[in-house]
Amino acid sequence: MTKKNSSMIQRRLIPTYIFLIIVSFISVFPLYWMISAATNTSVDVSRGRILPGGHFMENFNNLTAQQPLWRALGNSFLYAIVTTLVCLLICSIAGYGFEVYHDKWKDKLFSILLLAMMIPQVATMVPLFQMFSKARLLNCTLGFILPMISTPFMIMMFRQNARAFPIDIIEAARIDGLNEVQIFFRMFFPTMRSTYAAAAVITFMNAWNSYLWPKVIMTDNNSLTMPMLIANLITGYVTDYGMLMCGVLFCSIPTMVVFFVLQKQFAEGITGAVK
Amino acid sequence: MKRKLLSVLLAGAMVLSLAACGNSGTSDDGGSSEGGGGGSEGGNKLTVWAWDPTFNIKAMDMAAEQYKKDNADFELEVIETSSDDCQTKLTTCANSGDYSTMPDIVLMQDNSYQKFLKSYPDAFTDLTDCGVNWDDFSAIKQSYSMADDKHYGIPYDNGVCAAFYRTDILDEAGYKIEDLTDITWSKFTEIAADVHKKTGKYLLTSESTGGDVIMLMIQSCGANFVNENGEAYIVGNDVAEKCIDLYTDMIKKDAVKLVNNWDEYVSTVTNGEAAGVINGNWMNATITGIEDQAGKWQITTLPKVDGVDTATNYANNGGSSWYITSNCKNPDLAKDFLVKTFGSSTEFYDAILPETSGIACYLPAGESEVYNEPVEFYGGQPIYSTLVEYSSHIPEFTKTPYHYEAREAVNTAIINITNGTAKEDALKEAQETLEFKMSE
Amino acid sequence: MNSNKKGMTLVAKQKAAGWAFLTPATLMIVVMSFYPMVRAFIISLQTGAGANMRFAEPIFSNYQRMMADKVFIKSIGNTFLYLLIQVPIMLILAILLAQLLNNKDLKFKGLFRTCVFLPCATSLVSYALIFRSLFAQEGLINSILVKLHILESGYNFLGNAASAKIVIIIALVWRWTGYNMVFYLSGLQNIEYSVYEAAKIDGANGWKTFWGITVPLLKPTIIMTFIMSINGTLQLFDESVNLTKGGPANATITMSHYVYNTCFINVPNFGYASAMAFLIFIMVAILAFINLKVGDTRD
Repeated sequence: MTKKNSSMIQRRLIPTYIFLIIVSFISVFPLYWMISAATNTSVDVSRGRILPGGHFMENFNNLTAQQPLWRALGNSFLYAIVTTLVCLLICSIAGYGFEVYHDKWKDKLFSILLLAMMIPQVATMVPLFQMFSKARLLNCTLGFILPMISTPFMIMMFRQNARAFPIDIIEAARIDGLNEVQIFFRMFFPTMRSTYAAAAVITFMNAWNSYLWPKVIMTDNNSLTMPMLIANLITGYVTDYGMLMCGVLFCSIPTMVVFFVLQKQFAEGITGAVK
Repeated sequence: MKRKLLSVLLAGAMVLSLAACGNSGTSDDGGSSEGGGGGSEGGNKLTVWAWDPTFNIKAMDMAAEQYKKDNADFELEVIETSSDDCQTKLTTCANSGDYSTMPDIVLMQDNSYQKFLKSYPDAFTDLTDCGVNWDDFSAIKQSYSMADDKHYGIPYDNGVCAAFYRTDILDEAGYKIEDLTDITWSKFTEIAADVHKKTGKYLLTSESTGGDVIMLMIQSCGANFVNENGEAYIVGNDVAEKCIDLYTDMIKKDAVKLVNNWDEYVSTVTNGEAAGVINGNWMNATITGIEDQAGKWQITTLPKVDGVDTATNYANNGGSSWYITSNCKNPDLAKDFLVKTFGSSTEFYDAILPETSGIACYLPAGESEVYNEPVEFYGGQPIYSTLVEYSSHIPEFTKTPYHYEAREAVNTAIINITNGTAKEDALKEAQETLEFKMSE
Repeated sequence: MNSNKKGMTLVAKQKAAGWAFLTPATLMIVVMSFYPMVRAFIISLQTGAGANMRFAEPIFSNYQRMMADKVFIKSIGNTFLYLLIQVPIMLILAILLAQLLNNKDLKFKGLFRTCVFLPCATSLVSYALIFRSLFAQEGLINSILVKLHILESGYNFLGNAASAKIVIIIALVWRWTGYNMVFYLSGLQNIEYSVYEAAKIDGANGWKTFWGITVPLLKPTIIMTFIMSINGTLQLFDESVNLTKGGPANATITMSHYVYNTCFINVPNFGYASAMAFLIFIMVAILAFINLKVGDTRD
């Protein structure tokens, strides 16, 4: 009975599968192209070859000989992970505060904070640079993360998602004698796992790919990030496309892995945790 | 449990990040200034911003090696900074009035230097009396880094243009390289259209946005889209109009392949669709990278603009020069270093040529044996000395800080004309756009 | 009496906690965003560069200048075109995908989700390179169209104004649909599965459940993604720079791309660039607050 039932469900899902397979193919094709290009010579890539070749090690060796790949990867990891952890902490507390304790004034303040993300970065870069240069925060992690750890976007994400957080739980916890901070860490934090996971993916990705700000404040060879390394690969008179795609591959994989690891979290939901 | 784990992680991360900050402040090599990365504080160390490890950076490193022979305690650190990043960094720190993060020496594109000099005149060191015999560089290369008769840069990477042709494809269409030597653009259009008809290949490729062909056409006449007073000069500029006419005519007759970006440009060469390339000498590096086309390429002079008295078959496109910033704490050392290597040493240029294939701006270098050696790839043509010779014929023209604005305005006009806008209207619009950009 | 007093302090404590929770984030935003924005506003009243920056005469001349700037006006038109066409397509597609991928019975969910997310994790350089080469005159798309006899010879997608805009829109949808799906997926977790079960028992079909249950319950998330997409599109930069360089003849240039050019490609004019940035700021703010007013009500 159940077997029959499940096979019937699966049959009904066939159009869904077909649709998803098409979407996945379109999404994955460029990735395939990237991997394949990383295994071809520059001239072959330029000629539009889309089949994989046998030059991956050659491209990889050229890349590591010419560029400090491991250092750039290490830097990018450090910057992105620190940014993600700090950003999640600060923004989730704020988002929780805005929603759970909301009143007229907090809603107004939230609207004002939202304004911070609406101006093109180019405009604030010069004043920000002056500030960081005076504070001697160039070429270091702190300089990288400070402008990124409190973003209206992330506060908003936690605020909007906190709307689904049952107020009864808070009331019950208060009666149990937990203080407000404890409620946040013991109740909200584990319950909103899916939101945290999604926020972590997005923040990590933004930090990993950020380029304009790091390239202004990072002025020594030790603080190179992956996007800056990629920029170095396309600036010469000749672009070695095979090597470039090899570098780009290393630049893309970490975000994908982070997503793959966390996607279960944000798709499995809060229902289990609440019960 | 999770909370504890998170707080441990957070604490660890904060400690790490703070430690990283402390490190760069008190960097162990003692050279970097506070805040890191900026110019060196006296001593024997210089920092340099440059791009391209196979070319500029390699040459810089070799220069340092050579300089070390006589100055054992000399140190040089090259910070690889892509050309775009270099511009962004310089613009940001110069505009915030904080030069302290600038290196001692910086490499800059010749086409973009004038705009920096106009906007941030005090960011660079005057090199007029640094000891270089300026006559050893062609007038045109000097002029890129000059203002008010003062020298600010030492010309390094050349950018002299040549016409690179595939002799096998020319053969197929019944032409020889001599038929394309010292010709005019209208003759070129005729031949190119014919070659395209017979073989399906193009003698010329150009980018439709940000393309350089129109710039090198007008500059080969010793003219520009600005007049001597630096004002926009497109409407009423006979030479400009002739160039634009010739260029739009080429588009109409399928004598030029318009591409949308640099990758497509390179593709036309690598996949054999291009039977010719007209561009700076630096295209050499791309062309020689296509091993299966060895022996099929040769170079010759550019076509020249018809009916203009000052027209020549020579032009320059791109190239770069070395500059000493005003943040340099030891300008004497930086000057001495640059003068003794890039500024006066044929020995140095002979050494870097085989390593980087970079054509020197330093004219005496062209006479050396290394430069006169035949190049296998070009069927034994001694292209290096030929290119240096070309570079000595390039006419001077009025430089403008608004190079990129002019190029964009004119390229936009050309696209509009090909799409059917009347020429007068398109040129008027270009003139107005450029005037607008020049106003504040 | 005693208990009453205790209750007061509890409420006060809660209030204090509420504000305390906001403080770190608010302080950071004030220092890292608002202070530089005020400085940028002062710059927007100035002309010149570097040490020669001086106040403009008249003081708002940079703002007046925009009205006469044909390229900038063109860029406003381009940007709004992208906004109007791309954002609805992308968000609807994203909700749809999230809904499909949230199905309990679906197999290989993780794999599908990762595939759909992949585009925005792909490095910008490779993505731009791939799109340029796909849509090149001799690129894959053209060779397929020619083989299927839809076209006779390769069409210059990036070289024609209308098709170049379409390529940018396709590229944007491709890149950001998976990104938005993430928010919907995580938002969907807040909807109890039993709600769907109940709907099924009531005989609602998939389409009805989608519009009747999913969309209303996802409203906070939808509002957020709308605001983010408006913000992202009005500040659109990467695609214009990397896919078309704003060409042909400025047909695809965006506002932020033009602002960037004014700072870093052309002779730097930070005063004017900041003024344009503030116009973008005002546009985003107006649209975002309309959005919040219309949609973000606590029922």
